[in-house]
Order: sequence, then structure tokens, then C-alpha cells
Amino acid sequence: MNFVLGYSRNILQGLLTPYGSVLKHWGLYRMLVKRDILNRTSGTVLGKLWPVVQPGLQVLGYWFLFDIVFAMRANRGPDYLEYLLTGMLPWLCVAEVLNRATLMFREFSPLYRRNPFPLEILPLLIMTIPCLVYGAVYFLLCLVIGGPASALASLVVLPMLMLWLLPVCMLLPVLGLFIRDFAQIVPFLVMITMFMTPILYFPAMLPEGVRLFIWINPFSDLMAVIHGLVQGTDYSWINIARPFLVWLLLLGPAWLIFRRSIPHIREVL
Amino acid sequence: MQNPALSIQGVSKFYKLYDRELDRVREIITGKPRFRKIEALKPISLEVGKGEVLGVIGQNGAGKSTLLKVLARTLQPSSGEITVNGRIAALLELGTSFHPEMTGHENIYLSCAIQGLDRKEIDAIYDEIVAFADIGEFIHRPVKTYSSGMFVRLAFSIATQIDPDILIIDEALSVGDGAFSRKSFDRIMDFKNAGKTILFCSHSMYQVEALCDRVVWLSAGEIRKVGKPVEVITEYSEMISLAAPREESLATSVVKEASEKKDAHDKGVKSIPAIENVEVSVDGKVAKVHSLISGESNLEIRVRFRLGEGVPMPSVAVAISGGDGRILSSAGSFHDGVSLSVDATGKGVADIVFPKLSLLRGNYYLDIALLCEKGIHLYESIRRAAELHVDQKGLERGIVMLPHEWKV
Repeated sequence: MNFVLGYSRNILQGLLTPYGSVLKHWGLYRMLVKRDILNRTSGTVLGKLWPVVQPGLQVLGYWFLFDIVFAMRANRGPDYLEYLLTGMLPWLCVAEVLNRATLMFREFSPLYRRNPFPLEILPLLIMTIPCLVYGAVYFLLCLVIGGPASALASLVVLPMLMLWLLPVCMLLPVLGLFIRDFAQIVPFLVMITMFMTPILYFPAMLPEGVRLFIWINPFSDLMAVIHGLVQGTDYSWINIARPFLVWLLLLGPAWLIFRRSIPHIREVL
Repeated sequence: MQNPALSIQGVSKFYKLYDRELDRVREIITGKPRFRKIEALKPISLEVGKGEVLGVIGQNGAGKSTLLKVLARTLQPSSGEITVNGRIAALLELGTSFHPEMTGHENIYLSCAIQGLDRKEIDAIYDEIVAFADIGEFIHRPVKTYSSGMFVRLAFSIATQIDPDILIIDEALSVGDGAFSRKSFDRIMDFKNAGKTILFCSHSMYQVEALCDRVVWLSAGEIRKVGKPVEVITEYSEMISLAAPREESLATSVVKEASEKKDAHDKGVKSIPAIENVEVSVDGKVAKVHSLISGESNLEIRVRFRLGEGVPMPSVAVAISGGDGRILSSAGSFHDGVSLSVDATGKGVADIVFPKLSLLRGNYYLDIALLCEKGIHLYESIRRAAELHVDQKGLERGIVMLPHEWKV
């Protein structure tokens, strides 16, 4: 009983503390977002256009490879290119957040090592710019390929993904700080996860023998939900329940580990 | 103590040492300790009254910096409770939250936000920060374009304009160069005069004694003694002399600062007082190296100085030190109640005479310092302005021949 209560408390705190802290330190949060934009754009010719141009170029690259070179076509259902872009843009956002999360504490160490800094806002902070940038491009894309209803639905997609990533963004920075190998392996894991998730291909295109990989991968469910929301394809309650369960299971321990590691984080570098 | 500004109850800090980083991760996950302790601060309890200036002294590794960081909330204590009545500002490492690509204006908002101020509070002090930093149009340029002097000006201005109730100072009573050094010193003195609580950690016993109401001496992470500055500093200085005769003394700390101030003069800064020239003569003969006879030779020192623009009349101090750098004797115009003056061109002369110098056989050195009107803030100093080789006629031992008479 105590375990369940403690677990529930950690889930609740893990959800409320970061968001509560962002509200409490709203002025700081805004300045840090601005700092983040400057970090990406300063000294470049295109400046503030880069955050939009970069995902656009990535999309262009995937389109060229799969639509032109491989000439991939769907047998039925949505157009392949539309399908690819609908899944790829959110995934690029996820990949950026995951890769950055691994090095999060190193990146922000000048701020928290010598100042009383609210560390719990960092997981949300590193999601903000990718979410805004990819969100804007995604909205425009959905408007073009699916119309206003699709564009409206797209507004839910990235916030939903970011909320789901919250426990991961608490765990990865801790592991990335204390086990340096993580910084090397995470980009590889992100790439493998992309291949194991129906982004570049339709789920039906996968041979029977390897469908288990899709089944155990929560991103597959999330992709099904994303395609359902934006393109109106079928998805079931299992596609929602499964990632939600994983999220519930992860959030409590992730918050506990994040909270426990705070004194270590301030002293380790 | 009723309603203290700062109350520390059983506060300790130990750093955790792990054989492997993986052990740290295991500990975080399981909650089971896997570390070896390095105790930086043993449980200490202390209260600091409102308006009190508390000096923190101790040798390197005594736990001073750890204590200050714990109080500044950049380190979490391992145990104990800290109660703070009011806002704390720490002059520990200035400008660490600055982002090089952001303008001074934006960095003001960022730094203040990190210190917990909301937009309205920052708006209210923004103009004062900019005025005090006095960096002109640079405030709208990225911080990466600032000189180191401009950088520290802005950082100091932010740290002190947030109107803290408690100010933590680690070592430096002033920052920057030239006129800003004096300005920042005045700002800290304003805090003292306004009855703010100050924690001042320093190796300069002279400054600690001049400023503090009470002194805490830390040794190996523990409080060794707390009390009036004169009592604690005397005991501490004795311990230092016995333990490590070459431990940094006032003379050496003066020298460190002096080289920095000298740079400012070399760059042509005219707004702060400066030493123009020092003449040391023995029995009327001016030289850099002198031979003296103990109890017979007269030592005369003439310091020519220049008064800066808009600053009060400075004071001059002279220290005689031995070969190991330890000060044997000193004299200052402020403490002797002597007022200096300057002519119409802003130049002045201070003469001091040591008649029949009673130092015994040995080699000694003269350090000269130009200080603020209260003899605390150092404008400039010259180390080893002259060398004195003292000989004697008798066989007396020691450093000095004290005035004495036999009654038989």
C-alpha cells in the first residue's frame, strides 16, 4: 500500500513540479527560451530563418530519398509522401529532444553551478524550441496536405509527444551526465528506434516475423495515433493505452531519480 | 539572538567520492550509499544579526568557500538547516549566468530572473543597474563584445542592485579597475552603512579587522573561534605564524592587488589616486638600497601622490617586512590621524620619518601603499620600494631593540 502511495506521489510530483516551476519562474523561462534561439541563430546568415529552414531541408532530403530515388508507393490508404511527412516531422522533433537531453546538464552547467537555479525546468526547456519550430512547420505542412481540420489536429501532436517524453527527458540527462558513454550511444539508439517505428514505411509493409518489434515499441502506438489524428487513419484504444501505461510506469521512477540526482548534479562537473 | 538575519543550525557539507561513476548512478537509483565522504564542513551552528558584518577567516581548505556557497544556495548542505530572513546576493563568481550572444540589456533580465526577480522587480531596478555599470551604448550590444572591465562592471552592478538584505563577499572588496574599483568599494561600504548584513570572507586580516563586527575562524571545517575581530585575528595570526611562517600576509595580498592596480595606471587612468614617486633616504642620502646602523640611522620616506578626480583625500601607509614577507611594523596616515593635502595641480606629498631606527641586524624591505581616506581600499602599492641592510654595534638578538632603561 505504501509503495503504491509513494509511487503515485512521485508520478504526481513528476508531472506537476516541472510545469509548476515553469509557471513560478516564467520570466526566467522566457529569457532562457530566447537564449536558446540566439544559440541556434547567432552568427549565421539566415539567422532566425534557420530553425524553420533546417527541418524543411530534412523533410526535403527524406522526400528525395524515398519518393524519388526509391519511388515508394502505398498500395492503399494515404499517399506515401503525405504519410512519410506526417510521421517524419514529429519524429525529427523527438530525435532532437532526445539527443539534446543526453547532454542537457553539461550544456546548462554554467547556470546552475554558480547560481540558485531551478533545475526542474530544464527538461521542459529543452523541448520548447523544437516543439515551437517543428510545430510551426508541421502546422503548415498539415494545412497544405490535409486542410484546416488536419492542421488543427496537428497542434495536439507535438505537445502530446513532449508530454510523453517528459520522463525520458528526466532520465537521459542524469544518465548522460554520470555515464559519458550515453552521449555516444543515444544517437544510435534514436536512429534504431526510428527504423523500428513505422515512419518510413507503412506497418503493413513489415514482414510478420519482425512485427513484434513494432508491438513492443511505444513510438509505434504514438505514430498510429498521430496518423489517426492528422490523416484520419484507423487507430485503437490500445494505441493510446499502451504508451500511457509505459508513461505512467516511467514517470514516477524518473522523477525520483531526477530529484535524487540534483545534489550530485551540482557537484559532479 | 532575536530575529537574526541568518541562522545556521547544524549545517554540514561533505562531498561524495566514488570509486567509479557507475556507483553514483547505482546510489541514485537504489538510494543506498556507495560513496566515501570528504568532509568539507562539519556541523556548525551560527547566527548572524541584522546589520552585522561577519568576517570569515581560515586557511585554504578550512571550509570558507563551502560555507559561502551553501549560504548562497549554490551547494546543498548535507545536513542542518539554514534560515534566511531576506534576500541574499553573493559576490562569488560574477557574471557566470551571462550569455555572450545576448546584449547587456538582455543579460540584466536573465541574471535577475535567475536570482528570482520577476519582470516588474527587474524593470524597477533596470535603470539603476545601467547607470551604475556606466558602460554607455554597450548595454545594447552582445556581452561577447565587452572588455573584461565592462563585463565585471555590469555583473557587479546586477549583483548589488537587486538590493539584498544579506551580501556575501568572497575576498574582493572591490572589482574592476580604475574609478570603478573605488565606486564598487563605496557601494559595498554603502551596504555596511545602510545596516545590511555582510559576510566577508578574506585572507586580508587587515581588511577583516577594519570592517567586521565579529569574526568566525574556520579550521578543518569546524568553527575554531568566534568573537571580536581583534581577539580572533590575534589568535589566528599566531597560529599562522607558528604553522607556516610564509603564509600569505597583508604584505603579499597588497602586492597581488597592486600589480592589478598598476595596470590601470599604465593605461593612463587619471580618475583614481596614484603614487607618483617614492623616495627613501637614510640620514639624508636617497637610494634604493641602504645600509643602516641600528639605533642611530634616521629613515625618511617621501611619497608623492596624485589625487584622483572627485575622490576624497587618500591616505598613505608604510610597512616594514622581513625577508619572509611578514610585516614587522607598519604606520598609516589615517590611523595616525594625519590629514594629507594636495596643491592646486592635485599633487601631494606625504613624509614619514623613523628616527633612530631600532630594528636589529638583518635585511628588511619597505612596502608603500596608497589607500582610501579610511585606510581600507587599496589604490596602489609598491612592494619592496627600498631594501634596508641593518647592522648593529652590540650583540643583541632579535628583530627590534625596544626602548628600555636599567634601574640598579
